Amino acid sequence: MKEKLDILLLDDEAIVGNRLKPVLEKVGCDVELFEDPKKALNRIREKKFDIVITDIMMPDVNGIQILEEAREKSDITKVIIITGYATVAMAREAMDKGAFDMIAKPFTPDDLRSVIAKAADSLGYKKL
Amino acid sequence: MTNPLESKSSFIRNSKKPALDTEERDLLARPRFSLRLHMLLVFILFSFLSMAIIIGSVIAINRIQKKLNFVQSSERYLFDIAQARRWEKNYFLYDTNLEDAVQSAGNAKSLLSQSLEKVITVLSAEETATVLKHLDQYIGLLQELTMLEKNNIKNADKKSEIETSLRQHGAEMVKVAAALVTKEQNSINAMLHLIQRIPIYCLAFALLLTFFASRFLSHRLIKPLNLLIESTQRIAKGDFSPVPPLCKYRGEFSAVEMAINQMCNELKSREVAMVESHKLRAIGTLTAGVAHELNNPLNNIMLTAHAMLEDHNDLSEDELLEMINDLINEADRSRSIVRNLLDFARESESVSEPLDLEALVSETIKLTLNQAKVSGAKIETQIQPDLPRIRGDKQQLKQVFLNLILNALDAVEKNGIVKINVKKADSPGFLAVQVEDNGCGIPAHILPNIFDPFFTTKGPGKGTGLGLSVSHGIITMHGGQISIETEKGKYTKFTVTLPFRTVPAVFNKT
Ligand SMILES: Nc1ncnc2c1ncn2[C@@H]1O[C@H](COP(=O)(O)OP(=O)(O)OP(=O)(O)O)[C@@H](O)[C@H]1O
Ligand SMILES: [Mg+2]
Repeated sequence: MKEKLDILLLDDEAIVGNRLKPVLEKVGCDVELFEDPKKALNRIREKKFDIVITDIMMPDVNGIQILEEAREKSDITKVIIITGYATVAMAREAMDKGAFDMIAKPFTPDDLRSVIAKAADSLGYKKL
Repeated sequence: MTNPLESKSSFIRNSKKPALDTEERDLLARPRFSLRLHMLLVFILFSFLSMAIIIGSVIAINRIQKKLNFVQSSERYLFDIAQARRWEKNYFLYDTNLEDAVQSAGNAKSLLSQSLEKVITVLSAEETATVLKHLDQYIGLLQELTMLEKNNIKNADKKSEIETSLRQHGAEMVKVAAALVTKEQNSINAMLHLIQRIPIYCLAFALLLTFFASRFLSHRLIKPLNLLIESTQRIAKGDFSPVPPLCKYRGEFSAVEMAINQMCNELKSREVAMVESHKLRAIGTLTAGVAHELNNPLNNIMLTAHAMLEDHNDLSEDELLEMINDLINEADRSRSIVRNLLDFARESESVSEPLDLEALVSETIKLTLNQAKVSGAKIETQIQPDLPRIRGDKQQLKQVFLNLILNALDAVEKNGIVKINVKKADSPGFLAVQVEDNGCGIPAHILPNIFDPFFTTKGPGKGTGLGLSVSHGIITMHGGQISIETEKGKYTKFTVTLPFRTVPAVFNKT
């Protein structure tokens, strides 16, 4: 097994990525940052990520599509959905389609860290 | 949520009272002159006219009859005189009939004295006196002759002297009597002539009277009725300003006017309530979207603040500065999101102000951005630069465009496109705002109903059906129009035109 977790982080809000990247790197992850969902989609088709973190509501492509692509590429990939205003229907759809967990905006770095820890745990990475 | 609505409508009810009062006062200031009184007056006038005609003809006929009687007596008088003169001639020729002559002359005298008064009115008093004098002298001469005859005095000189005198007086009398008859006959002819004319004059007068009376009546009936028709058509189109005074006087029509104005006030307050309730619903729809929208800057602030808290020792000055700028920008962003919603949601009196249509439409689009995200549609905006300002109520116009955009977003599928186009309209003096979507379109059979209040094809809890009805009212009040172009399954295009030069009349009054 690898040392580091491969994480793809997608949010059309640039600040989210800028702030979360250092947080995730500090706990020992490789983070690829995307603002454009289409580019992210292409990258997902190329590479198997351990964890994909994606916003659900974005122009052109939404989080559900990202989830589907990621799950298709590799079913061990854990997809964490960031939701804005809790759109219950979409959240339920995401969970049904195999999302690992959801985080509701606004959240703190700690919230994310604990979800990542859970995901790493289920991936077999002990102790991040 | 119902509270603001209640307070608003109660405010309307309060403010409506004084308006009604001024109308009532204006009405009371008008002189009372009902239609019934008007007709009664015309009727009385006609009755008086016909009565005058009847009385006049009765009097005239009476007078003619009297004159005829008089002419008859005059003719008998003339006859008696003539008879007397014939007897007189016989006497001088054959020495007979002198007594007959005296008798005829006496008859004439009694006839004359019987209708002396009347004669005086026809001839003058002087002439009557001469007539009498001649008659008296004639009788006197005849009596003198009788005396001579009785006493058998044969005096040829005396006799011929009396004869000439008699001839002279006799001729005078005949002349005057004949003149009397002719004069009276002439006056009868004149009267008959007049009586013949009277019906013609009366007819002319009656025609004139009918003409004026009908003009008066039509003025009082047709004009208010026409005004009424105009007003009801205007009201049907959604302009609820009070009707102009139908009539100068207080009467039946002012009652109608009062009733219509009261109805207008009711309709106006209903409409205000409807606009308000639709607005509340729209705010409800938007609030969800805005709450979501607000989460983004809030999340950014939270993450940035935490990052600063955790790493403040390791951060370079530049990084720190960047984060602080982010904080400020995101706070600003939240503020404008909230402000935009509040701007629309705030309760305020209807005011007319100069408006920049570009800014107004852009702000409205911002309000709907989240709805667009949810329905996965793209909003494309195209705004012609340097458009003139329009006058109107900002919130109300926003409400119209909001409804059109939300309708369009409801109509499109995922990846639908809503095009918003602001430009100068084809008709001069107007700006046009077009909202076009490539959604489901509107089937022809419901097209006539979409502007009806409470007409909706959306499920319960999703649409109130008030949107287009309210929009139509608002745009009409601004002096504009809404038109629609649609093809089922292809597209729907709503075009709102608004005048930019003229000030809408409704705002002048309020
Ligand atoms: N762009 C559109 N495309 C297709 N149908 C439309 C469009 N705009 C309006 N309609 C039809 O017209 C109806 C009336 O619209 P309206 O805005 O008055 O009410 P609503 O949208 O149903 O309710 P509300 O506006 O209160 O949410 C809608 O229910 C819909 O059937
Ligand atoms: Mg609507």
